[in-house]
Amino acid sequence: MKKRLAALVLATATACSLVGCGSTEATGSAATAAAADSTAAAAETATQETTTAATTEAAEAAEPVEITVTTTFAGEDGNAQNYKDAVAAWENETGNTVSDMSATSDETLKTRIVTDFETGSESDVLFFFNGADANDFVSAGKVVSIDDIRKTYPEYADNMNDDLISASPADNVKYAVPVNGYWEAMFVNTEVLDAAGVEMPTADTTWDEFLDDCQKIKDAGYTPIAAALGNIPHYWWEYCIFNQQTPENHLNIPASADDETGTQWCNGLADIKDLYEKGYFPENTLSATDDETFASFTDGKAAFLLDGSWKVGGIVSNCQSDPEDASTLDTAKLDNFDVTYFPGKGNRKTTDLVGGLSMGYYITKKAWDDPAKQAAAVSFVEYMTSDEMVAKFAQHTATALKDSPKVDESQFNSLQVKAMSMMSGVTSLTGAVQDLFNGDCRVSTFDGMPKIVTGKTDIAEAVQEGIDTYNAAQ
Amino acid sequence: MSNIYRKRKYAVIFLIPALLFMTVYLYYPFFVNIVDSFQSIRTLGAGSNNWNDPWYSNYVELIHDEVVWTSLKNTGIMIIATLVGQVGIALLLALMVDNIHKGVQFFRTVYFFPIVISATALGLLFNLVFLYDKGMLNQLLEIFGKTFLTDWKDESHALATLMIPVVWQYVGFYFVIIETGLNNVPDELYESAKIDGATALQRIRYISVPMIHNVMVTCITLGVTGALKVFDLPWTMFPKGMPLDETFLTGTYMYYQTMEAKNVDYGSTLAVLIVVLGVILAQITKRVFKEREDI
Repeated sequence: MKKRLAALVLATATACSLVGCGSTEATGSAATAAAADSTAAAAETATQETTTAATTEAAEAAEPVEITVTTTFAGEDGNAQNYKDAVAAWENETGNTVSDMSATSDETLKTRIVTDFETGSESDVLFFFNGADANDFVSAGKVVSIDDIRKTYPEYADNMNDDLISASPADNVKYAVPVNGYWEAMFVNTEVLDAAGVEMPTADTTWDEFLDDCQKIKDAGYTPIAAALGNIPHYWWEYCIFNQQTPENHLNIPASADDETGTQWCNGLADIKDLYEKGYFPENTLSATDDETFASFTDGKAAFLLDGSWKVGGIVSNCQSDPEDASTLDTAKLDNFDVTYFPGKGNRKTTDLVGGLSMGYYITKKAWDDPAKQAAAVSFVEYMTSDEMVAKFAQHTATALKDSPKVDESQFNSLQVKAMSMMSGVTSLTGAVQDLFNGDCRVSTFDGMPKIVTGKTDIAEAVQEGIDTYNAAQ
Repeated sequence: MSNIYRKRKYAVIFLIPALLFMTVYLYYPFFVNIVDSFQSIRTLGAGSNNWNDPWYSNYVELIHDEVVWTSLKNTGIMIIATLVGQVGIALLLALMVDNIHKGVQFFRTVYFFPIVISATALGLLFNLVFLYDKGMLNQLLEIFGKTFLTDWKDESHALATLMIPVVWQYVGFYFVIIETGLNNVPDELYESAKIDGATALQRIRYISVPMIHNVMVTCITLGVTGALKVFDLPWTMFPKGMPLDETFLTGTYMYYQTMEAKNVDYGSTLAVLIVVLGVILAQITKRVFKEREDI
């Protein structure tokens, strides 16, 4: 009898636990609905306000919520600390919290974000590329356009010059509110150049002169170029192809590997292969991570580093005894770093740069449709794209602001000043063609770069494979 | 005696939830995965565009894909490394610990400890050990007079660099299983053998090893099937089969195709290959290393 009773109790407990799961969910839903109602009312109130501060107030007035945010302000990104500070300030101001899932910008992050959208686990707010990388989730209607947001929040991004906000290539609609622009250029460790007896490259340095410099640096026992071709070949891919073209035709996508643009791409990749064969990349370039080769550059073992404007902050942090405390900057060490144009070849002038406003803040449809989060998400983006914040993030790069606050250059460190000086001599700023050449199209030449440079894969075949993938996706 | 134990319907009632769970989260997805392997799916979660033409094209590609053969070869090496390195070393350690009287608990804890550390954390740790510049190993060799750096992740070293941490991590797991098996061997057998003049090695050869035969079969089966699934540590140390696709295992290649190359249908095909391989190898293991019922 006791055992039967025990069995009955067990069965009842099992049933209760199952029912319990359901009832918890039901209660949760009811609570969420109730919270949603009250937050919806608060959100509605916010729409009647007309200033950014009003939106922030609405976000404050509502029950504090947690929003998930993914950005690329992480790792060596120069704005990683600015972002952390800004998030903390917004949290203090509104009472809301941010569950931050930011990570270094690489192919893995891009894949993660696209996959998150496809599996319904996307962040509420996203700082991401506005090019073809976003096509999948834009086409799926998973982000809200700036125009749609303005119907409810008329002041949303009204401090931006709309003409400078890029539209999505998927549907020509604007979704992402830009913060800071970017440029890609060549950082130089002048200490290594001095040791090798090489002059600092200038706006007139040609490709052949660059090769001569690399040889001298190699002969002096240093690594000429810090690059992890098996990990981040992006910048070399972009510029070596750009070197075969001009700013006018750089954004063309080839129809096949043997047409004019395709041939230019193949020749660009052949230049990378040539550099590899000459031994100008680190010995472990195929197995190293980007962090490792960056360390070899900052440690004075490599001379050149081709990277983006975000690396300025990474280099500066590296010259601080406490990476999070700017007052610990070793200015003498930082003075050993400079930045210049990527040596030109053919019709591309050395001063033609790759850059633009390629990223911005998206609000996802999931957050927009959630009355509890809508106002908070809008408030967050408005806070992060305010004039003051954009000026802080942009520093020496372009912005889309209507009225940029005056930059106090006296606060700039020596590398930032050098970057400003370089930017003043730029003859053109062209977007990156890889932003139009979708993620999986690049697999054969990005992930395949080690096989290309070692001759295990034919360059034309790799380029054609990427083009085929691109064409299949159109 | 209560008839609750005689009526099997109660047992069935309690088995149904687990069966439902397995059906929903294992068998149904596996069936869908097989269907997916015949379709064209570019992105995860986006659904299929259409059937491949021909529908079995992924399986043809599977045969012609050099990286598949590399990953199969590496997985084969991983199985051998598992059997020799993990199970073999675990057996040796367990036999030694079984022959000491003091500190048994200490050694159990020490050998088992790596299991409780996340494989990803271990991967990051070993990344520092094998780092090219300022890595622990290269620094140690420098102390002993080596004048140049070795890239432990290059083509010629990568596979060994990958296998060592994986083997090291799981030795403790098999050690605990085998040690438990040895503890179950009756002391009387050893005492009798000792009285009969058997040496320590003879006691191990003729008593310990035969008595833990079934335990060893279990370990070998777990080792073989486990080697097919190993993923996190290799991916942390050698993402994307770095360098030159030389370190891909079947699991990491499947992940790469699905998540990185966004070739989801081909990733599904690789998943089918892994399951088929797993079943075949488990059967072979079962037949080669038969369990004995007389122990």
